[in-house]
Amino acid sequence: MRSRLAGTLVPAVGVILVLAMPFMTTDRYLFKVLTFVGLNLIVVAGLALLFGYAGQISLGHAAFFGIGAYTAGYLTGEAAVPWLVATLVAALLAALVGFVLSLPMLRLKGHYLAMATLGFSEIMTVLFIEARGITGGNDGLRGIPYPSLGSFKIDTPSGVYLLVWITAIVVLVLAANLVRTRPGRALRALHGAELGAQACGIDTGRLRVQVFALSAGLAGLAGALYASAVGFISPTTFSLEFSVLLVAMVVLGGTGSVTGPVVACVLLTLLPYVDALVPGLPREVVSFLQDWEADIAGIVMILVLLFAPGGVAGLLRRSPRVGEAE
Amino acid sequence: MKTRRRVVAAALVAMLMVTTVAGCSSKGSSGSATGEGSAEPYRIGAIVSLSGSYAGLGTPEQKAIEMEMKRINDAGGINGRQVEVIFEDDATDPAKAQAAVARLLEQENVIAVIGATGTSQTMALRDDIDRAGVPQVSMAGGSVITAEFDKNVFQTPWPNRIVVPFTLKALKDRGLVNVAVISDTGGYGKDGHDLILKDADTAGVKIVADETFNPGDTDMTAQLTKIKAASPDVVLMWNAGKEAAIVAKNIKQLGMSVPLVGSPGNGRREFIEGAGDAAEGFRFAAGKILVPEAYGEGTPAFEVAQKFIADYSFAYGVAPDIFAGHAFDAFLVVTDALKRVEGEATPASLRDAIEATDGLVGVGGTFAYSPEDHNGLTEEELVFYRVDGATWVLDK
Repeated sequence: MRSRLAGTLVPAVGVILVLAMPFMTTDRYLFKVLTFVGLNLIVVAGLALLFGYAGQISLGHAAFFGIGAYTAGYLTGEAAVPWLVATLVAALLAALVGFVLSLPMLRLKGHYLAMATLGFSEIMTVLFIEARGITGGNDGLRGIPYPSLGSFKIDTPSGVYLLVWITAIVVLVLAANLVRTRPGRALRALHGAELGAQACGIDTGRLRVQVFALSAGLAGLAGALYASAVGFISPTTFSLEFSVLLVAMVVLGGTGSVTGPVVACVLLTLLPYVDALVPGLPREVVSFLQDWEADIAGIVMILVLLFAPGGVAGLLRRSPRVGEAE
Repeated sequence: MKTRRRVVAAALVAMLMVTTVAGCSSKGSSGSATGEGSAEPYRIGAIVSLSGSYAGLGTPEQKAIEMEMKRINDAGGINGRQVEVIFEDDATDPAKAQAAVARLLEQENVIAVIGATGTSQTMALRDDIDRAGVPQVSMAGGSVITAEFDKNVFQTPWPNRIVVPFTLKALKDRGLVNVAVISDTGGYGKDGHDLILKDADTAGVKIVADETFNPGDTDMTAQLTKIKAASPDVVLMWNAGKEAAIVAKNIKQLGMSVPLVGSPGNGRREFIEGAGDAAEGFRFAAGKILVPEAYGEGTPAFEVAQKFIADYSFAYGVAPDIFAGHAFDAFLVVTDALKRVEGEATPASLRDAIEATDGLVGVGGTFAYSPEDHNGLTEEELVFYRVDGATWVLDK
């Protein structure tokens, strides 16, 4: 009983805190940093389903993020398509690419699947650089307009922050509920034992395609929001480095949970921006964290795999549940 | 079970903190320095490429600015206030440059931004600079920076629209009329490439081949083989990154005897070191700082350059290159304007003061900005160089 109460109370307090933020501070930089956290949360929600429940590793989600960003950036900036339409098209296109990509990958598992997504990510990086007519090549796309609905324009850091975080909360609630539904239980079964899941009458192939497309679509949605929030995109943002960071968040977060990856995502995203949260922090500390961001993430990941394979989720869990391999 | 988890969690946190604290003293690419001063210092942001393809440009830029900042602060600062420059490394990446400017503008509240090192990186800052209304002085040479006019953006190097016609004329004068172009697809290379194609007819040269490569590429043999087949009189290379040395080496490896001519972006020591033998005979146009006699002895520009070269050589044990000069000029433009601002300096009043710069003698030339022209240099400032014995000499 107590744990159920805590289970609803903690997220509720979190949501209220998030929404009350614009009334508590006017620090533009803080909003910008928190916007990045919200964007990563949207991607991580999809990856948590893919990795934590379906047990599939993707090293290509930065590419889906990029597809969303370039689609939205090109449509709103160059083609003057309304923002909402462009954002939806961007998310759908990323999901479609994810769907098509996952069809041949159905036969792949484990390392082989990871290699295939890695290959896809590299192909997309080249495409982002070479498709200059759309992406602007190495110089990137400039002047992407702020989000707007009709004549209402969201052009303040706090407005963009709210837009991103409301989207992230909706996505997270849906993801958390999805795992309690029939497809969600099927996902867990898939993670536990694919043969067993098949024996229970689950169409595992179809399920894997669906969850891959869903996570790709969420990455595309986050990319589209990123493009309009930042106003400038260029290929290096969508490189393998970002994909690996996303996987680190999910691994650090732990499997079979949405809360764990959320906590890990917030921590890892804030790492290079601690100066936004801790005023008066010496600049040397900040620049050290920025320089060593990848190293710290890597060390933490190794330590987690060695000592706490359950990740944040494992540490949060009060007692080991049945069905969780520890 | 539970206790073990707690211990592990505590160990994780402890480890993270230890690595963080231990590293603080050992590594840190960006930093700042201030002297004593009662009033709040003037805070200026600087975005330079300290890693990536333009690291060889950004590093001397940072050194030149740090040296001048120290000199001014030791002499009592400006208007009795110290000057504090906050450096950010953009890693030659437009996306990182954009993230850096957001930090400088919104977290550090700088009144001016110097940078960036490269053209793409400079352009990536524009949206944020415009929204904040803070003046920006770029050290990159793409024409687009001031041709796509922005009231907040100024530029210290000679832009491609001046250098390209000057270079093409120099080729024509030397009888090198069949020109093969190889350029990178980054901002500066593309900017120069487009101008070369546009100005070729006027200059009386013929473009016989036109090849490109991406920043970060490690082999240009394929493009150069095509160029070789076109049998040009000269290969004209337009880029500023470290890939220039690879082009020079590939030309030598392919046994091509055709001369190689480049852009001011190649006037860097790393190019000579990287290309070795292949750099000999390489020619390019740039300002006069590499061979100061070109200023004409006794002229005000010669005096400024001589002092800068002496200070820089004394501080760092090596003579400054053109990029150190661009940074010296950018810092000079900002500090000179700060002296002229009446009342409290704000980004807006500083911008107006920078635009009113007139007859300011720097290393790259004499700067005179106006509401229509935020570069203000002419081809009078340029000379043609040749690499001879691993150093630069004038190519008459």
